[in-house]
Amino acid sequence: MSFKIMPKAALPDWVTWLKNRYRVVGPTARQGQYVFAEIASPDELVLDYPTSVLPPKKYLLPQRETLFTFDAQSMQMKANIEWEPTVILGVHTCDMHAIRLLDKVHATGYTDQHYQAHRQHTTLVSIECLSPCMEQSFCKSMGTLTVPEDYDLHLTDLGDSYGVDVGSEKGEALLQGFTAIWDPTSEDYQRINKVMAEKWPRFSYRLNFDVTELPDLLALSNNSSLWNELGDICLGCGQCTKVCPTCYCFDVRDEVDLSLTKGQRTRTWDSCQIDRFATVAGGHNFRSTRALRNRHRFMRKGKYHLEAYGLIGCVGCGRCAAACLVHITPVDTFNELYRRHKKGEILEEAKQA
Amino acid sequence: MSAKPKVAFFEFTSCEGCQLTVVDSLQDHPELLDTVEIVQFREAMSEKGEDYAIAFIEGSCSRPSDEPKLQAIRQQAAIVVALGACAHLGGVNAIRNRMPLQEVREYVYGDRAEWFETYEPRPIKDVIKVDAVIPGCPIDRREFIKAVTHLLQGRMPFIPDQPLCMECKLKENICVYTRGKVCLGPITLAGCDAICPTYGDGCEGCRGLIANPNIEAMRQVMHEHGLTDEAIDAKLSMFLTNQIMALEEAG
Repeated sequence: MSFKIMPKAALPDWVTWLKNRYRVVGPTARQGQYVFAEIASPDELVLDYPTSVLPPKKYLLPQRETLFTFDAQSMQMKANIEWEPTVILGVHTCDMHAIRLLDKVHATGYTDQHYQAHRQHTTLVSIECLSPCMEQSFCKSMGTLTVPEDYDLHLTDLGDSYGVDVGSEKGEALLQGFTAIWDPTSEDYQRINKVMAEKWPRFSYRLNFDVTELPDLLALSNNSSLWNELGDICLGCGQCTKVCPTCYCFDVRDEVDLSLTKGQRTRTWDSCQIDRFATVAGGHNFRSTRALRNRHRFMRKGKYHLEAYGLIGCVGCGRCAAACLVHITPVDTFNELYRRHKKGEILEEAKQA
Repeated sequence: MSAKPKVAFFEFTSCEGCQLTVVDSLQDHPELLDTVEIVQFREAMSEKGEDYAIAFIEGSCSRPSDEPKLQAIRQQAAIVVALGACAHLGGVNAIRNRMPLQEVREYVYGDRAEWFETYEPRPIKDVIKVDAVIPGCPIDRREFIKAVTHLLQGRMPFIPDQPLCMECKLKENICVYTRGKVCLGPITLAGCDAICPTYGDGCEGCRGLIANPNIEAMRQVMHEHGLTDEAIDAKLSMFLTNQIMALEEAG
């Protein structure tokens, strides 16, 4: 839509200005790591951060959310659809791709009204990633190192100022009446071109093959012995799925109060890596081993989402790899499948199966 | 409205901390007293009624003479709930189960070893049928209230079957391993809201193992983080001796 320049010195004023109008959340430092949290004072905001523990999706799909309350005697219920006009500052491009996928998932079929309510009242301010944010990230391989066009505002660090891409009217509203910004000069354009040109060599490809080959590779890998090997070392702790920006599985529970008169239905993030996740009525568990659960997770990230929604399910943020205590990573898993496939091992196994 | 269900509390080998947690839960939920009638509760009252439908039992069974008492409770109660890690797992008391019993007796009681009756501490489910468990050392008071609510509804208490890491990550706690300590969170049942990691300590496993835990991988992780085999064994025996021994026996 338009492009503006905001001096870094004006950022605190802008955040304060936003705070008067919205709940403002962004990356903040906590115990040596970074978490998205409400910004109480502008100096808490850290825009140059290695990735956050949980992705910003927690403002669209909260860890715990009451779906509705009910009267346990009359069984009348009341939907609990809440939102707060929120600005999320400093969203990395990988997380923007993840939100794009979540948007699609929650708008398909029976749309998720709770997600929609949060989403419609959320304004996303993304930030250009100029260098790899942590050792485990592999966004360049996954094609998520550029921002998808879903941003409302997109910031690019130009040294003493930010380039501000306006992507939507919602984004434009964040700047309305804020006077410490200006239209770029030709010098500003030169600077942004330089910054953008310099960033790419800093990122290395981590996959040993092109990501477009991933769904086919996974299709061939259904019977790979690698799944059993991962199952042997996996703790089944579920951390990988908790920190994943594209995971959205949840569990639902009803609770009533002690007098048995009032109650609520609550959903909480769940995980396909948990032993009983796929247990159905009658007690049958159709993913009863850690090997099957690992395979399911990687299939979902690299194949199933693409088939169902046209978008790849892994955005290369590296959070799961960083969280895994037994060092299971998507990069190693996909590369190892590729290596074995090249040797023809998978085809051999497929024949035997 | 039917008569209030009659409830009794009993303790065997334990510190009675779980029963104190029950008393403590009245701070937030005084209405508990309106919903049940407590007929026995040594920690909180001197009257003793023998007519009860729900029995909460704290403590492990650590001597043969505990058994008839447990049988009597089972005969009277329609529902028996194991309250806390001792009743659920054998508790800290079970640390000694890997050692020869006679040696333990002599170490503790010296030349009076024969005066005291004792055997290997065991969860009460090894002695009588148990309908439900409220795990933890001590139990979580919110979970206790929730469990009572479920019982009032005619349901068995729901205890999460996820590993603790799931709850810990929801809170965005820094991983205890990142801080150079060790934690049994990956193999321990959640439900305590990850209280120990939240306050900076590793999980000790008081709520018991998840279904099908990967003990070998857990040992490997602790090893990588600097623990010797002996230290790992010690970690796994604080609350989990009986469960780990059972897994070893099953192969």
